[in-house]
Amino acid sequence: MPLPADGLLVFTPAQFAVLDAVGRRMVRPRPGWPTVDEVGVARAADRIAARVEPSAQKELRQLLGLFENGLAGFVLGGRTRPFTLLSGPQQDTVLADWRDSRLALLRTGHAALRTLVLAAYYQSPSIWPAVGYSGPPGIFQDGPSQPEWRGGDTPRPDGNGVWHGEALP
Amino acid sequence: MSKAGRILTGRDHGASTTLHCDVVVVGSGAGGSVLAERLTAHGLAVVMLEEGGYWTRRSFDGREDHSYPRLYQEMGNRATDDQSVLILQGRNVGGGTTVNWCTSFRTPPALLDHWRDQHGVKGLTEEALIPHWEAIEKRLHIAEWPLERMNANNQVLWDGCGKLGISRGLIRRNVNNCANLGYCGLGCPLDAKMAMGVTLIPDAVERGMTVQANASVRRLLVENRRVRGVEAQLLDPETDRPTGVTLTVMAKTVAVCGGAINSPALLLRSGLDGNGNVGKRFFLHPVVIMSALMPEPVAPWSGAPQSAYSHHFIERGPGKLGFLLEVPPVMPLIAATVFPGFGDEHQQLMEQLPYTQTTIAICRDGLLPEDSGGTVKLRDPAERRVSIEYPLRPFHFEAFREACKVMARIQLSAGAREVRSLHSRPVHIRKESEIDAALDSAAWEPGRVRVATAHQMGGCAMGADPRTSVVDSTLRYHGMDNLFVVDGSVFPSSLGVNPQESIFGIARWASQFVAAATS
Repeated sequence: MPLPADGLLVFTPAQFAVLDAVGRRMVRPRPGWPTVDEVGVARAADRIAARVEPSAQKELRQLLGLFENGLAGFVLGGRTRPFTLLSGPQQDTVLADWRDSRLALLRTGHAALRTLVLAAYYQSPSIWPAVGYSGPPGIFQDGPSQPEWRGGDTPRPDGNGVWHGEALP
Repeated sequence: MSKAGRILTGRDHGASTTLHCDVVVVGSGAGGSVLAERLTAHGLAVVMLEEGGYWTRRSFDGREDHSYPRLYQEMGNRATDDQSVLILQGRNVGGGTTVNWCTSFRTPPALLDHWRDQHGVKGLTEEALIPHWEAIEKRLHIAEWPLERMNANNQVLWDGCGKLGISRGLIRRNVNNCANLGYCGLGCPLDAKMAMGVTLIPDAVERGMTVQANASVRRLLVENRRVRGVEAQLLDPETDRPTGVTLTVMAKTVAVCGGAINSPALLLRSGLDGNGNVGKRFFLHPVVIMSALMPEPVAPWSGAPQSAYSHHFIERGPGKLGFLLEVPPVMPLIAATVFPGFGDEHQQLMEQLPYTQTTIAICRDGLLPEDSGGTVKLRDPAERRVSIEYPLRPFHFEAFREACKVMARIQLSAGAREVRSLHSRPVHIRKESEIDAALDSAAWEPGRVRVATAHQMGGCAMGADPRTSVVDSTLRYHGMDNLFVVDGSVFPSSLGVNPQESIFGIARWASQFVAAATS
């Protein structure tokens, strides 16, 4: 998987590769569904992570390292090979092992990784047809033409939220 | 009428500056906005600071990928430290009122009695609150949503309860000229939702209030028994990172209205721990969810999100949490993160989204003597993210399990082909006779079943005794002359109903004390 042309904001290339690998197991090729590559899941995850606070970014980097690392895998889950070098079915087993682990820490790690990767995929409007979602109604299209009131000398525009009744006690 | 105030964002100050006012209100949600509006009606000069951005109908395009980062805490991904509870909470000018599902309940009178009897709360009676509820209901057009406009998602709960003889009710909503779109959770594109950003905040601005968005209040300026003001970092509206500009607001009175997580965090950052009570007694109406595959399309994103409810199981006897049944709207991005599994299993669930109905059980925490709730603590004080712990205990799991059984029965009675729990290894049920065995044998442990919350309460509990509470019965911080906390954090327990109108009511009631302290 090539790195994004516009670079990475949070993750290292190695961490990017882990996100990409997890993305490919979380979202399988399926007729009518955009691929992980078309959505750019690992890049999107990097962009989501760019908006969280530095301490949360650090935790995500650590999590990806731990998840990838075969030695940690051996201590915690019984494997010795890095996640990205495993076969697809083996990767699924590792994901399920973390999800179902007796160690709450691994379940927490699975939840965090899963949420990041799934959010990176399903944030894309390109998935709407695949899940039968009709998208926002067209009425939204008049939004940008609406005035944004900032107070000052401009009178407040009338609207649903303006109170026309008597003063309330 | 005096000159209108202004609504400013993080880009409107090139250099650090100091403002002076009568009252600084920290937070612009249900509590802060109602309080600020009343204070301006009393002729007081108010500055309102909000950490989130100023977003309006202009930008409410109904897209989840735009709305969660702009309008929600931590981009919609706030959670307990162990990720076992997902926390949906607003963060924008208007706070939760911009993104909630419009459900409006008055505070149950029995709960006010409980607070009086168990926590020594004085004066907060139904009689005292009624005039405030009436005024708010009038101003915000709060009215029952008609049955004939109920969407298919709510209809399942309504019909299932009807068939099983479970008591049910129609929800009252704060909307005016609502078109029944269903996008309340992403900001109303029609300004039909009577959110604070289109109602009481502009009312107060017309009377001179200054609103500063993108202002993260880092500390209260505490001096002995008084707070002299607050210090805020301005954030860039685009990146949400500090701009380096500091805004200081000096005030006669300070009202902290950041909600049940951010209010305790601000007090703690300012060295105020309320004898160890700040951040304790934190409750969040933990929610468990059952999803149902229906034979006909439900389109769970469409139509008024919440219009049916059942309070049938709110009292379940000693030692048990009661629960309230409602329905959530479901859209693809939130569904993807909440629905269990990965790969093909998960994608199958996602493909069924248009036919998926979900019902939620909102568990009423904080009323059992042994239920002290969770804890909000600081991480690195320089950061905005805080530590949130909410230990899930046996009484939670008992309620979750029984609530899931009830929801499964309701959904099957309403015609569901299959119902599913949101366990990480989901339970699938097709027949009524399978419900008990299937759910009794499911994994009821943290991190093995999806738990969520959209209601955060407590953390600055009100009460008579400074040894066990943070604010007194006028919402004044114990031991400080001019510091108030006015939001859902003052509730000594959860409510068992959606909190917005309770927060409106208590804030409006408490505005008299804040005004009286400001001279």
